[in-house]
Amino acid sequence: MTEEKIFEKVVDILKPYAKDAAALASVSLTTNILSDLKVNSARLVDVVLAFEDAFGIEVADDDADKVETVGDAVRLIQGKLA
Amino acid sequence: MASGTAGLKAAAVSRSESAPEPVARGWSRKALEAQRLAGRLAAPLWLPLVVLSMRFVLRWRIRDAGRCRKEYAKLLEERRPLLVVANHLTMVDSAVIGWGLGSALGHVVRYRGLPWNVPLQRRVLSSWLWRTLAYVMKCVPVPRGGDRREVAHVLERLAHLLRSGETVLMFPESGRSRSGRVDTEATADGVGRLIKEVDGCRVLCVYGRGDAQRTWSNLPARGETFTIAMRLVEPRSELRGLRASRDLATQVVHQLAEMERDHFEGRNS
Repeated sequence: MTEEKIFEKVVDILKPYAKDAAALASVSLTTNILSDLKVNSARLVDVVLAFEDAFGIEVADDDADKVETVGDAVRLIQGKLA
Repeated sequence: MASGTAGLKAAAVSRSESAPEPVARGWSRKALEAQRLAGRLAAPLWLPLVVLSMRFVLRWRIRDAGRCRKEYAKLLEERRPLLVVANHLTMVDSAVIGWGLGSALGHVVRYRGLPWNVPLQRRVLSSWLWRTLAYVMKCVPVPRGGDRREVAHVLERLAHLLRSGETVLMFPESGRSRSGRVDTEATADGVGRLIKEVDGCRVLCVYGRGDAQRTWSNLPARGETFTIAMRLVEPRSELRGLRASRDLATQVVHQLAEMERDHFEGRNS
């Protein structure tokens, strides 16, 4: 799966959790999931679980801890799919 | 989109350069030992003060406290990790539960039985008084809504404490129960992660509620009488990774919800 496809899918998954619609409209790889998109930190696990379902991957706790930006998520998924 | 993904490597580099590295484990263990020692030395002073304030200034009372303390003391005899989890209605729940699990003298004598607490880092860092109190009162502050690696580091410290025979108290809901009832939808996964990472971890579910407590608040009312119920469980999960953490935390919160139902149906008395 291409990087672009992964990015689009990641953004789609983040949509229902993001409280800042303006930040979502201009989302990029450097967008911080918690501070920019205002995703509730307690819901970040739900987001990562949604990544697991959408991409058919398994994410360890330590890997999930490193996800801060949309780019981190894309890179993590790319690594798992490789 | 192209410009978005082109920044991937750059973003990764800048993040790894700026991200703070977690504190080394060795240092953290020594710091915890020093904190425990300072707390233990100060305990004969602060523990009776806290308990006397609850008992005689606020006139709180715990129904059948002797039974709770006896059951808890029995659990402490077995040298396996013991995590205490409780429902969360007020800012002083940890003090009330600590008092329910042991008298001031009992905790001074058997200091490891007084659970470590996990208060919000923001509150602890707000003044030097809070910092000092948190330090001697067995607290490991946790950032809420912050870097997950910092939270993971706090969980590592808690896991170390549990493995070394200390008890830890956590509230598995993400905050105080805004509905006044255990919120099974607001599960904080950290509890599950801790249970998963500490082999043989026993979980003591504690449901506490004052007779006049209808919903969440900062402090229970003056003259409040609390009922405390306890149930020991050993959650297991066949799942892996994050799903296992979520599963274990959910089991614990559902246990508390069940204890709440029992409380209102009068089965805890």
